[in-house]
Amino acid sequence: MKTRTYRNPVGVSRYTGLLLISPFIIGALLLIIYPFVSSFITGLTDGSSFVGFENYRHILSDENIRSSAAVTLKYAAILVPLKLIVSLAVALLLNMELKGIGIFCTVFYIPSILGANLAVIIMWQYLFTSEGLVNQLLEAVGLSPVSWYGDTDAALFIIVLLRLWEFGSTMIIFLAALRDIPRELYEAARVDGCGRTRAFFSITLPQIRNVIFINLVLQTIAAMQEFNAPYMITGGGPLGSTRTIGMYIYEEMFTYGDEGTANALSWLLFMVIALIVLIMYRTTGRLRREDR
Amino acid sequence: MKKFIFKAAALCCALSLSACTSKKAVSVTPPDGSLDKCELRFSWWGGDDRHEATLKTIDLWSKKHPDITITPEYGGWDGWTEKVTAQMKGGTEPDIMQINYDWLITMSPDGKGFYDLDSLSGTLDLSGFDEDTLSFGRADGKLNAVTVSLSGRGLFYNSEAYSAIGADYPRTWSDLIALGESFGSHDAYPLDLDIQSGGTAWYLAVVYIQQKTGRQFITLDGELGFTQEDIRDALDFYKLLEDNHVIRTVKTRTDEDGNAALYQSSEFIGEKVAGVLEWGSAVGKYEAVLPKGVLEAGPLLAGENGNNSGWMIKPSLLYAVSGHTKYPDEAAAFMDLLLNDEECAKILGTTRGIPASRKASSALEKSGALTGLSKESQDILNETDTITISPYMELSRMKSFYNTAIESVSYGTADTEAAAEQMYRSVTEYLEKIKNEDPNLP
Repeated sequence: MKTRTYRNPVGVSRYTGLLLISPFIIGALLLIIYPFVSSFITGLTDGSSFVGFENYRHILSDENIRSSAAVTLKYAAILVPLKLIVSLAVALLLNMELKGIGIFCTVFYIPSILGANLAVIIMWQYLFTSEGLVNQLLEAVGLSPVSWYGDTDAALFIIVLLRLWEFGSTMIIFLAALRDIPRELYEAARVDGCGRTRAFFSITLPQIRNVIFINLVLQTIAAMQEFNAPYMITGGGPLGSTRTIGMYIYEEMFTYGDEGTANALSWLLFMVIALIVLIMYRTTGRLRREDR
Repeated sequence: MKKFIFKAAALCCALSLSACTSKKAVSVTPPDGSLDKCELRFSWWGGDDRHEATLKTIDLWSKKHPDITITPEYGGWDGWTEKVTAQMKGGTEPDIMQINYDWLITMSPDGKGFYDLDSLSGTLDLSGFDEDTLSFGRADGKLNAVTVSLSGRGLFYNSEAYSAIGADYPRTWSDLIALGESFGSHDAYPLDLDIQSGGTAWYLAVVYIQQKTGRQFITLDGELGFTQEDIRDALDFYKLLEDNHVIRTVKTRTDEDGNAALYQSSEFIGEKVAGVLEWGSAVGKYEAVLPKGVLEAGPLLAGENGNNSGWMIKPSLLYAVSGHTKYPDEAAAFMDLLLNDEECAKILGTTRGIPASRKASSALEKSGALTGLSKESQDILNETDTITISPYMELSRMKSFYNTAIESVSYGTADTEAAAEQMYRSVTEYLEKIKNEDPNLP
């Protein structure tokens, strides 16, 4: 069979393509590959000399790091499902062709832009310190005040709450997916006598399952890397109950100057996250394939 | 294409390996004795009083040297060490820096982390300092930094809160403990200690045990002077203060203030907490949030026999020049202005404590500006048999050991015996590790 060849109409050389993508290649090499490799190598040193996998051995036997890992997993396990449920619920509400939908979307999205900045931290202090608004409300309705900052479980909860409040990005992704579902499906279902609940479970959820999966993966990765919220709100306390691995890495690197441990721990965190995502892909593979 | 990416990735690996295995060659710019047109960066931490005064000194410099621009970088103490550590590791630190005492150990153990100031004598006049004061800034024999002021932590009280309760400032440890009851009946506290950036909880417990035993917690050459029993006694003393309502428990404090510093908390501003243990050089931030003249310096606590030893002093802060600076003469000239210039001294006042430079302190004395809480605190310390704090006591990792012990005792997750055993082991192992890592250390 004759292979059809095309003449290059503008006479570009074989290197032109490479030249055109070179900004990305250079950026990736300098900003991703180099730090990545450099971090791994630093993790094999004590900051100056090569120590092999000694840092990894130390990390795996360190009780404080184990407890920090448990905090991170607990945080992710609470936050991610809650955030997916809340953002999907709000997306469903906003999908009901309400008037002024744009304004609602913007209002719900604003917290996501704020992040864990100083103003938000001060607001959290007004809300959750012992004399804060939340305790005043609790007392007004006859409930006893809660030790939000001082209790180990409550402290983790107020950090979860901050990130939960910032559900805008996941909601927007859900909303886009919901709008892509053909209306005819719902109409046909209604004709067949299908109720709203049944339609949600039989049409909506199956139609957006890939998007649920994407949000699940993205939110899990973000939760496992959490640093800013506990650093700003609780400083990791009380009793290390909010010291996530992200905070631990930061402290090892910048507070204590232990580059080796910090970099080795970063790599372990990377591997754990990669493993979790891989397990997610594998266990949900059948469900996602059905969608094709 | 694949080959190209593979080669580029291999190059990155090689670069990383070489960066890791060879010591970074820092090219030191030698002084040339002249002041050229340039831009310099100057960084410091502190409260608003210090920021405002320091910015005015930069204006003063600009009038004298319009060709040399100084860009200020400043903020609060929280997170400052981390910021400068990152800058030092990346070689992007400011030309002139206000540094902390223990940074000489962590950032310049071999004396090469900062510029050798002895070589800048052409523009930096150190004749106003005695050799003992200068020795605080030496690392491995090289003059890396100049002490700005000597300072110690002292006790400062809210005079209105004390008058309202009808209490006198405590003179002895038992006076302090007795105050817990009278303040407690008004739902207030005579003092506050923390385990956050200040770490005053362990500090006061150390003073108490040093006074009682005559042993120094950690010696200047990095040996642990306390026994495990001393550490346990210190933790027992801390718990006694909590149990007697002298200070808030860690949980109460965390609940009331969140992650905010004491001087920013409504409990301090609202007079519920009536006392603070603070460096004389940094007390301005507490003074500023209360009505003028309300915060007063109190006596340093003593035993029943009048023994008031055990209290400590250190260089409250130092100035250093970056080892990477391209303008050492200009940086030294600016440092000279900060340390010795009469007009500058008057602007800065005591926002960095009582100046160690004789030129600056006599300028302040002549102008009658050598007053205020910093001065009173310094005078009280001068009347006391003080000990110089070991820089090892100030290391961040060490502070984490103290705070872990205090927090677990306060929350009741460990008894003082177990917490002391843990702290003793951690401190001993860490001090040993530092010495093994750096043979240059004493």
